[in-house]
Amino acid sequence: MTTEKNLTADYPGYETTPGAYDEMFDAAGQPRPGLEYLESALRALGADGLKERGRVRDSHLTAQGITFTLSGRERPLPMDLIPRVIAADEWRTIDAGVSQRIRALEMFLDDVYGMGQILSEGIVPRALVTSSAHFHRAAHGFQPPNGVRIHVAGVDLVRDQEGTIRVLEDNLRNPSGVSYVLENRRTLAHVVPELFPTQRVRAISEYPERLFASLVTAGPRGVPDPTVVVLTPGVHNSAHFEHAFLARRMGTELVEGRDLFCREGSVFMRTTKGPRQVHVIYRRIDDEYLDPVHFLPDSLLGVPGILNAARAGTVTIANAIGNGVADDKALYPYVPKIIEYYLGEKPILPNVPTYDLQDREVRDFVLDRLDSMVLKPVDGSGGYGLVMGHQATDKELAEVAVSITDDPRAWVAQPVLTLSTSPSAVGEGAIEPRHVDLRPFAVNDGERVWVLPGGLTRVALRKGSLVVNSSQGGGSKDTWVLDDGQGGISADAGPAVADGTAEGFIGIDRRYRRQPGWRETGPRISEERMRQQSEQQQQTRTGGGEPTC
Amino acid sequence: MLSRLAESFYWIGRYVERAEASARLLAEHHQLIVEDKRITPERGAQVLLEALMIPTEADVEFTPSELVRQVLGDPEDTSSVSGAVHAARENARAIRDALSADVFEALNSVDMRLSLAVSKPDIRSPGVLLYGVLERLAVVHGVIDWTSPRDEGYLFLRLGRTLERIDMTARLLAVHHEQMWPESGPVAMLRATGGLHAFLRGRNPMSGEQVRGFLVLDPLFPRSMLGSSRIAEDTVRALERQGSEDSTGRLLRTVGLLRSALEFSSSSPDPATVDAMAESGLVSSTQAGMEVSEAFFRQVGTTVWSH
Repeated sequence: MTTEKNLTADYPGYETTPGAYDEMFDAAGQPRPGLEYLESALRALGADGLKERGRVRDSHLTAQGITFTLSGRERPLPMDLIPRVIAADEWRTIDAGVSQRIRALEMFLDDVYGMGQILSEGIVPRALVTSSAHFHRAAHGFQPPNGVRIHVAGVDLVRDQEGTIRVLEDNLRNPSGVSYVLENRRTLAHVVPELFPTQRVRAISEYPERLFASLVTAGPRGVPDPTVVVLTPGVHNSAHFEHAFLARRMGTELVEGRDLFCREGSVFMRTTKGPRQVHVIYRRIDDEYLDPVHFLPDSLLGVPGILNAARAGTVTIANAIGNGVADDKALYPYVPKIIEYYLGEKPILPNVPTYDLQDREVRDFVLDRLDSMVLKPVDGSGGYGLVMGHQATDKELAEVAVSITDDPRAWVAQPVLTLSTSPSAVGEGAIEPRHVDLRPFAVNDGERVWVLPGGLTRVALRKGSLVVNSSQGGGSKDTWVLDDGQGGISADAGPAVADGTAEGFIGIDRRYRRQPGWRETGPRISEERMRQQSEQQQQTRTGGGEPTC
Repeated sequence: MLSRLAESFYWIGRYVERAEASARLLAEHHQLIVEDKRITPERGAQVLLEALMIPTEADVEFTPSELVRQVLGDPEDTSSVSGAVHAARENARAIRDALSADVFEALNSVDMRLSLAVSKPDIRSPGVLLYGVLERLAVVHGVIDWTSPRDEGYLFLRLGRTLERIDMTARLLAVHHEQMWPESGPVAMLRATGGLHAFLRGRNPMSGEQVRGFLVLDPLFPRSMLGSSRIAEDTVRALERQGSEDSTGRLLRTVGLLRSALEFSSSSPDPATVDAMAESGLVSSTQAGMEVSEAFFRQVGTTVWSH
């Protein structure tokens, strides 16, 4: 459907993709409620303006060093200039749904690493959990200090053809991308401030403080002011920019495994003033690399003995070890049941229909129609190994069929879902629809789950592509949650807005002008008289001269 | 040193600092009013213009981009960014012989760039433009630092820079970003002084109150009022050692009193005390500015010959 009355005037060829929900335009090609402003702002900018701003953005991003590392090369994360906008009431649903999901999955983790009641009752098959590569017996029976295992989560959401927001997957281990969310907002306001609406866009810059607060409350018992560090695999990791960003913004040390060591059941970092004890480790390395004593013995990234220290309660590892069992793609179909089991609530955000390939009948059903399925390796992330049935060659489909038959536990299948599209600036000032998803970030401090308003909108920049991962040619968009004054579910009660003055120090008093008569004084030589009489001293105060001779 | 030269050095220091601090403050303030319309653009613009003492015409409609135009301003108003840069450049031109070529070139190039940018009818991507200005002003600071002999001229420049810095910090604090934008305000205030990194490395909890205390009293951040007043005092003492002891008495007392009031304040003062200290910083720097003029650049007024 073309949008003749709208963007087409300046951006010929904005055609919504048949069968996909467009985030900005309705089926009649009209901007959705609340987006008329953005539509006219884009038209005012024009194709030339958009092209020019694209160049400004590129040089800005490069100069700022906002990059991710792909196959060893550092490159800027492609950032689209057109924001993705989420209405306030829709956001309340997402906020509540994400929060609900994290609360339930926390309880699930607590259960499977404890009594295992949900397994005994057969709600979730025991074999499914115990066969997960991320189920770590080392975590069994371990109680985190404030009960939190999922300090940070990223929940990937997509919108289907009907406009329903669905959960595509949970990321409970090392969800990344939040640094780009924060940087995108700053970049967009720098580069195209005129796109911002007259409404308030909800602020996101407090994320690092929220994360830090949740890490502090997760510290070992009896340590009032815990030392928090961020553990990175190192400068060659694709998300190193983010690790450094978070450490910097939280005011914590960014450490590598070799900076830490364990002694007598505690973890220390090597400093110029000798060993300093570490109490909370926000680790951005996978479980398998964390402790060569327990996991991969050849890991150079980890810290030998760290797991025993965590079990002894002298250090908190965030996110907790073994979380992967709850974001395992094979467990995903059971999450709605998990929510009902623990919370007694209906899931607010539905799943994408998913086939459990360990069931023989289901497997045969899927194998018969591989070309209409998305096949995902259970252990994959970042879009690696993903097979899109409708785009795959016969050879690829045959290979995946063999692989599934050999090890059905390693795969899940979902029907091909046409993700919603959002207008995106592509190429030379053109605007075309591109598929998007959304990754909201949730922070759990043990009291409540706070969801960052917005999140990372990833966009598949290749035309027609449904794969949004940055490692697969994806980019990102600034994501706005508009504020309708009612706040969000997890928003704090809005603080009273003062009129910008405080008692005792009210503005700049007129007494403190910048140097008396400062605009005229100072050696400015601009006054006409001075220019004409440059032999005169420049400091002559206009009007202040008394005849002295 | 000639008083005329000394005065130009002093004002180069002041104007470069003013331009830099105003540009940084504008970049962050603009970001806030663009993103968060809880505060109307009019109100958001008004508080900044008042703090920077930029006069406005009554009938201007304050969009964020109009605010940028006003603060980047015209080269005739030294309260604006381009005006301050231009004034610094004019001073540098007048004492070109006393400056290294690098300093004049750096100032000249930022002045030319900026006057070109503000002469255009609309300023697009103002944040990016301001970043470019800040980058060039950093070059100015750099070449001053590594090419200037540590003589009287340098001391006057440094004195101007630190007095202006105290003044600008007080002006920033007068805006009260933390009250208007409770979520993003504290971080923006820190960014507006280049102090975010120093604040975070100090493991301070992020809150408006903490940020205000930091900007006034932090002992390690060179741009806090305490840090600046220490440099001001050192500079005046250095001038004294250069043989100006007759002129520095009152000035030294003013900056020394400010420094010790900040230095020996209680370790965690309440917000009202912090605000009172910020205000006394503004008073002292204004007073010190007048004392510098009187002590070193004494003018006898224009001679008008009547026939």
